[in-house]
Amino acid sequence: MIEIRSLSKWYGKLQVLSDINETIQRGQTVVICGPSGSGKSTLLRCINGLEPFQKGEVIVDGISVGDPKTNLYKLRQKIGMVFQRFELYPHMNVLRNITLAPMKVKGIPRKQAEQKAMELLTRVGIPEKAGEYPANLSGGQQQRVAIARALAMEPEYMMFDEPTSALDPEMIQEVLEVMMGLAREGMTMLVVTHEMGFAREVADEIIFMDAGRIVERGTGDEFFRNPKHDRTKEFLSQILK
Amino acid sequence: MFDAVQRNLPFLLAGFLTNLQLAGCALAGGIFLGILVGLGRISSKAWVYRPVTLYVNVLRNIPLILVIFWFYFVMPILVGKTLHPFVSAAVSFIVFEATYFGEIFRAGFQSISRDLVSAAYSTGLTYWQTARYILVPIAFRRMLPSMITQSIITFQDTSLAYVIGLQEMVRRTTIVDSMEVRSIELYSFVAVLFFVVCFIGSRISRHYEEKGRRANLL
Repeated sequence: MIEIRSLSKWYGKLQVLSDINETIQRGQTVVICGPSGSGKSTLLRCINGLEPFQKGEVIVDGISVGDPKTNLYKLRQKIGMVFQRFELYPHMNVLRNITLAPMKVKGIPRKQAEQKAMELLTRVGIPEKAGEYPANLSGGQQQRVAIARALAMEPEYMMFDEPTSALDPEMIQEVLEVMMGLAREGMTMLVVTHEMGFAREVADEIIFMDAGRIVERGTGDEFFRNPKHDRTKEFLSQILK
Repeated sequence: MFDAVQRNLPFLLAGFLTNLQLAGCALAGGIFLGILVGLGRISSKAWVYRPVTLYVNVLRNIPLILVIFWFYFVMPILVGKTLHPFVSAAVSFIVFEATYFGEIFRAGFQSISRDLVSAAYSTGLTYWQTARYILVPIAFRRMLPSMITQSIITFQDTSLAYVIGLQEMVRRTTIVDSMEVRSIELYSFVAVLFFVVCFIGSRISRHYEEKGRRANLL
């Protein structure tokens, strides 16, 4: 379970998160949407301790992320993350991208790590790309490798930061399908996305953020059919048109 | 015409070997220390960043020849005995070149996107693991061309060690010249030797630049 209590964050004087409260239960998929600069990515980065915050609490399975005594390296092993621009290691082939952390962080022997990596590559549909370098893959393929890399650490949570917004339209579906599969298998997921079809299909809860605040939250259908806040209506009308 | 060179060839070439050895020490030490300097320059901790930045700024604004002199005269006071000119010169070069390599590495590290580092962290890699497997190898490949160029400069600069009496090739040439009085031949020979080594170096640099571009790393 991830609990976020009265979380606030500032960059200098600029407040980027204001009093965020949210609980994500095991097995849930929560979709976060909102205009750019609304603090969605920053919220994700606070949850796995990539960004410090000044007020409030983030608690992952009873461990406080903001506590200076918390071993963030250990905490991050529980939380996989996928980025907008894939962020594969350009100097390593696909297989090595996936096996690096299991081998170096968990000390898993190479053979075993590679076997697991091949299983994951099969799962995301591109086992034949194991020996390729990231630059030789399409965006959709790179993002699927990035998902496999995150899954290789056997995380209990997965966070996606706009995983399809850097993709050409014809590649979006192949990535979304992998994500939907994960959601159905019961992975706990936090997804920043504007893919409202995806949200409708798998989200247990949809959060709309604006200017660092959670403006509105709802379940799939309720959120789309009946948005309460003006900002939400405006945002939805823009992205759904 | 080049008989003066021929007569003194072993003596001169032994001096050239000293240049090569000094460059070797300067590069090995300078690059190693330079990696630490580069990491220090991008550190968010003020107690790391400030002193490293001071060190870089001071050294980069002093001519190398002064650094060589300074170490030669100060080291005996610090260590308590006179150092061999080679050791003293090697220390000066390492300390001096580390600031240049450090800046090359800093630029290389900063060319790596914040999200790539975040991606490494998000898999549980520690700071040092991220530095070792991600930051340093990528930065190293991106920086290889400038590193080779800086290495060539370092190699050329080794001749400056003649000022503290190190018997490298230029020093030995002046010695030979004072006996043979054949300045043009002798110095031309030295120039050709330096040119050949440095030209090969710059070709290697070009090669890695092309290679890096092809691998989408530049």
